[in-house]
Amino acid sequence: MSGETENAKLELSGISMSYSRGGRRHPALDGVSLRVNEGEFVTLIGPSGSGKSTLFRLIGGVERPDAGSIRFDGRDATGRRGLISYMPQQPSLFPWLSVEANISSALESAGIGKKEAAEQASGWLRRIGLGDAAREYPHVLSGGMQQRVSFLRALLMPRGVMCLDEPFAALDALTRADMQAWLLGIWEAERRSVLFVTHSIEEALTLSDRIYVLSPAPARVLSELTVPFSRPRRADVWKEPEFVLLKERVLALLQKGAEERHAL
Amino acid sequence: MRRMEPRWRGCCKNIPMDSKTKLKKAALSGGTMIGFVLVWQLICSFLRVDPWILPSPVRIAQAMWEDGPRLADQLGFTLRLALEGVALGVAFGVAAALLFHLIPGVRTALAPLVIVTQNVPLIALGPLLIVWFGFGLMPKLILLVLVCFFPVAWSMLAGLGQAEPHLREYMAMIGASRWEVLRRLELPASLPSFFTGLKLTAAYSVSAVIVAEWLGGSDGIGHYLVLKEKGFDTAGVFSAIVCIVALALVFYGAAVWLERLAIRWRPPRAEAKGGQEA
Repeated sequence: MSGETENAKLELSGISMSYSRGGRRHPALDGVSLRVNEGEFVTLIGPSGSGKSTLFRLIGGVERPDAGSIRFDGRDATGRRGLISYMPQQPSLFPWLSVEANISSALESAGIGKKEAAEQASGWLRRIGLGDAAREYPHVLSGGMQQRVSFLRALLMPRGVMCLDEPFAALDALTRADMQAWLLGIWEAERRSVLFVTHSIEEALTLSDRIYVLSPAPARVLSELTVPFSRPRRADVWKEPEFVLLKERVLALLQKGAEERHAL
Repeated sequence: MRRMEPRWRGCCKNIPMDSKTKLKKAALSGGTMIGFVLVWQLICSFLRVDPWILPSPVRIAQAMWEDGPRLADQLGFTLRLALEGVALGVAFGVAAALLFHLIPGVRTALAPLVIVTQNVPLIALGPLLIVWFGFGLMPKLILLVLVCFFPVAWSMLAGLGQAEPHLREYMAMIGASRWEVLRRLELPASLPSFFTGLKLTAAYSVSAVIVAEWLGGSDGIGHYLVLKEKGFDTAGVFSAIVCIVALALVFYGAAVWLERLAIRWRPPRAEAKGGQEA
């Protein structure tokens, strides 16, 4: 265990959290432990309402856990803010800022100089084929394009861990497949530490190095599995026979988790 | 992936700028005004209404032409006072909105008092202010600020609280400070509401200036109005009314113009609506 923690960028141990709603306590997380190593793509997969967003709020320091600790680079950072960059399900771009200013102003508020922030933003927008749209307002872009800008904003922020909260869930299937391939390409070139949340088993298997399968609320880690496909990974990795086997395994885990819950 | 690249270009066409509809609207409202003035003129001419009861538009125009230099002087004075009042009122309004927004206790404590200031009739407050502050500029400015600050303060306060929840969540997740949330999210998000308030203020301010001038002093269209009324110069009274209406329209137009300058993006609510219609 100690050997594993040495290069852990982000480490959660024994996180428990409950909400009080209508005078009653609703447990959301029950002793969740997980870790994201430097340059690793880790995915959390679980049924909806399994407390994944709560987990993100704790990592972001927006809330504090009832029990357990969160460590960044080996140092305790429970409840500390400003250590992650974030990409939510909705693009969450500021409608009054141009596409480029949306990225550069985020970089500026993370401490990068004005000139460098603008250069990085425009350079990267050109690199992903959105150079012509840099001075437009976000609403002229399609949903998929807005999510690319949102991803770029998270990627370029100088933070240790990128948290992506179901970033493709609101997109249509075709756009979603496009986005997965696109993200895979950029991530494999940049190798940032990523914590990714999704409902989609295929998405998790296509993108990740490791997957944590969560139970329904209160969430526990049901299983941790390492994705065996080599890097650089092809977007059509789903054609591999092993992909189907892994998918079945994750599905079985999720179903078992759901049954256990019903049995309670 | 290649297929998707140019998709954003075509999207600009979704915002309709139908100039034909605009022209039709302008013609319709302009036509109504012209029709109104024409009917007025016809009534005066054919029913031989006494000019001191209701002067015809032509007679009013004549009176304005004859007294042109003096009217222009008075209008200039009123314009200056109105601008000063609006500027001060807006400044106070924005300050009040920020104070109320940032310190929740202040809002609860001061809200009743603010409502009271809006319910004391101007014609009661005006003489009191003159008793306290004399006949100078001070009581007039106080009266104007009291009228002008409220619409700005109240609509902006609502706007500051109405920033999109998912943008708030984003700011919280990346660890933005309170000041950053205000500067990067709440202030820009409140601009549309601010301008709603500014347009109301612009429309109210002119009549408030007239009341202020009417109460005391020896300058301005409000004072001119009092003189003409006391002299039974009905055409003169209407000259003043025309100036007041014109000034109010100019103020409102200026506020609309400023709004267009400041807000070039499409506010999120309009976006949602457009999406539903499409």
